[in-house]
Amino acid sequence: MARIAGVDLPNKAVKIALTYIYGIGRCSAVEICEKTKIDPDTSINTLSSDDLAVLRKVIEEEYKVEGRLRTEVALNIKRLMDIGCYRGLRHRKGLPVNGQRTKTNARTRKGKKKTVASKKK
Amino acid sequence: MARSIKKGPFIEKKLYKRIQESLKTNQKQMIKTYSRSSTIIPEMVGFTISVYNGKTWIPVYITENLVGHKLGEFSPTRIFRGHASDKKVG
Repeated sequence: MARIAGVDLPNKAVKIALTYIYGIGRCSAVEICEKTKIDPDTSINTLSSDDLAVLRKVIEEEYKVEGRLRTEVALNIKRLMDIGCYRGLRHRKGLPVNGQRTKTNARTRKGKKKTVASKKK
Repeated sequence: MARSIKKGPFIEKKLYKRIQESLKTNQKQMIKTYSRSSTIIPEMVGFTISVYNGKTWIPVYITENLVGHKLGEFSPTRIFRGHASDKKVG
């Protein structure tokens, strides 16, 4: 099993397997294949250790992935919260940030439904 | 180049004038404004600008970090005081 950037890659086509790394999607996976001149459709287990080394190098040098990317995102959110702007307040409250409706839906941000008992007569 | 970048940051003329004037006289007194959509520019750092939220003016002290945001982002227009049922429990 190949390990890149601290993630175990499944035995799939390179362009798919690379997307298991946080920060690499389909688009940048194909880009990486072009840069390393590896056929995006070969499966991971057939790659030589040299190929893997090249992949590692390109990802290491040119992409922000996994931990570093996560801290960057977290810092960006923290900055918004610290300056007390509207987006920061929304993050603090765990509500949608980009102006979506909250009368209904918004369950991704608000989490599972908390049912409130209706008033008794 | 995106059209919005070409046009430059928006800032209300009146507010810009007020800031330039008070920079000249070196007095950074409170400036009241209705212009929530004005971008915060580096010249404003150090000012306290009171931004209208539809009811009152909320004083916003401008620091380096706020540059590039809009004034309205720091003057919330809604107050959420919680639901009635929450009060009973608490």
